[in-house]
Amino acid sequence: MSAPMSPARRQRAVNNSIAVLVSAVMVFPVYWMFATAFKQRGHILSAVPQFVPWPISLENFQRALAKPHFWVFVGNSLTVTLSSVVLSLVISLGAAIAIARFRFHGRRALMAVLVVVQMVPMSAMVIPVYLMLRSINALDYVPGLIITYMTFVLPFTVWTLRGFVEGVPVELEEAALVDGCSRFQMYVRVLLPLLMPGIVATSIFAFVNAWDDYLFAYVIMKSQTNYTLPVWLVSFKTAESVDYGAMIAASTIFSLPVLIFFLLVQRRLVGGMTSGAVKG
Amino acid sequence: MAMTDKRSAVRPVAPRPRPGPRGRRAAPSRPRLLPWAMIAPAVVALLLVQGYPLVRLLTLSTQDFGPRSLFTGQADFVGLDNFTEIFQDTDFQAVLVRTVVFTVLCVTLLMVLGFLMSHLLMGVSPWARVMTTVCLVLVWAMPMVAATLVWQWMYQPQYGVANWLLTKLRIFGDLSAYDWFSHPNQALGLIILLTVWKGLPFVALTLFAARGQIPESLYEAARLDGAGVLQTFRNITVPILRPVLAILTVLEVIWSMNSFTPIWVLTRGGPDGQTTTLGVLAYLTAFSRNQYGSGASIAVVTVLILAVFSIFYVRRLAGQAEQGGTA
Repeated sequence: MSAPMSPARRQRAVNNSIAVLVSAVMVFPVYWMFATAFKQRGHILSAVPQFVPWPISLENFQRALAKPHFWVFVGNSLTVTLSSVVLSLVISLGAAIAIARFRFHGRRALMAVLVVVQMVPMSAMVIPVYLMLRSINALDYVPGLIITYMTFVLPFTVWTLRGFVEGVPVELEEAALVDGCSRFQMYVRVLLPLLMPGIVATSIFAFVNAWDDYLFAYVIMKSQTNYTLPVWLVSFKTAESVDYGAMIAASTIFSLPVLIFFLLVQRRLVGGMTSGAVKG
Repeated sequence: MAMTDKRSAVRPVAPRPRPGPRGRRAAPSRPRLLPWAMIAPAVVALLLVQGYPLVRLLTLSTQDFGPRSLFTGQADFVGLDNFTEIFQDTDFQAVLVRTVVFTVLCVTLLMVLGFLMSHLLMGVSPWARVMTTVCLVLVWAMPMVAATLVWQWMYQPQYGVANWLLTKLRIFGDLSAYDWFSHPNQALGLIILLTVWKGLPFVALTLFAARGQIPESLYEAARLDGAGVLQTFRNITVPILRPVLAILTVLEVIWSMNSFTPIWVLTRGGPDGQTTTLGVLAYLTAFSRNQYGSGASIAVVTVLILAVFSIFYVRRLAGQAEQGGTA
């Protein structure tokens, strides 16, 4: 401790302390969500905040879960999110393989369109999409939301999966064809297993996009039993009085799947993201 | 572009994969229709749910599409009237300026802090790196709606942890029972803070991963030549990271400019419309005032600003890539 440090080691020690400080500040709101969710009611509304929830209490979760239709909202969110993820992956996998493995007319134009379309902001599209769904009587209708989410992630999923397909050596596919596989068998048995990491990374983006969307669900879903979790969570805070404990507990339940998902695939996430970013 | 396509299209098509000498680079057979069949679903979906609405947005912006049009389906074309109208509206001008200021502040903070954070991650011990990365990933993963609600709770006037802490620190005096969201500039400040906090992990981790790909030998050589920290930064780090920095900037501009959830949930654009940005104004005009035509024209203005910015940036990037070839 008192031994003299070399300048390099001292620099590292300073950096480490800054990193600890930065981490603490950054993660505090996430911590505060968990801390608040597990507090007793009396400890939430107190002039001096309680930094460690003790005794740990589940009453906030009980109140949140007891809200009318809670499980309906969970069901809606899961249905909409999982359907749009599966659909977008199936559709974009085909397109990604075609773009990566075949040379056809309009291939480059298609790639350019994918990049440009990705830049069109969702908040600008909400007005025409609303009018379009309205004119075919598909407002307040779950499949309308599914198809909207699916399409909005398509440019991204096609583009990313294409990169992963290109990473698989063509020779492996050729060998399978030579061994007598049909083209379809070759895709299922050879290409698909090798693409699994890419599919996982891509599906997380598609999942978060649909799970977390507020704007479209808010505009399109009108009847309360069709709300998704984000729309319900925001409607929780009525003007009169907010049950902060239950609201934060519900937010915790809502955040948990994504937090766990991200932590599990953390390394792959960062790696996949930059390889895509650097290649453009 | 057409050249390569044409060449590949006239290549002989083998009907069946034939067992033969290996070593050809391309896939063994080249069916003509298969790729089209494979991309067709994606193309159809994009045309229907992105292409058509985009065209509809443009036509809508030239129509007087009010509440009556919703039921009759009829709307008069008014040319560019919607645009002249919004640009003469002083409220719109204020919103436009506010959106630009908001975007510039968010993106500048994100890029500078993100860069510093990635730099910090390069120079810490492995345990500190893992700890910081995990914290950043948690922030990144937290859904925006949840983050916004927690933010609201942290800045709650009476029981929020922020007011308690600031009062304790005695920097701004007694802030217990202080309502941040009833003061426009402070509310906007908190929205910027939330946007930057939430977006920082993506920028920092992307830059950190990209820096990991720069060979350390470059820095060693520069150090041997007597280059200081700033010089290596200017001559090695920035030029190599330029494509990543450019893409991040473009993405963050798009995301910040279209930020809707945090503003809507925290302030609904208030007080008195003073935290409204273009995205919120388009929403309000269309869905609260039922002026779908005007709402669409506001959205078109946003898209045009973003398009001009992106083209400018992409072209500059291409120019730099050509010049940088010899450097």
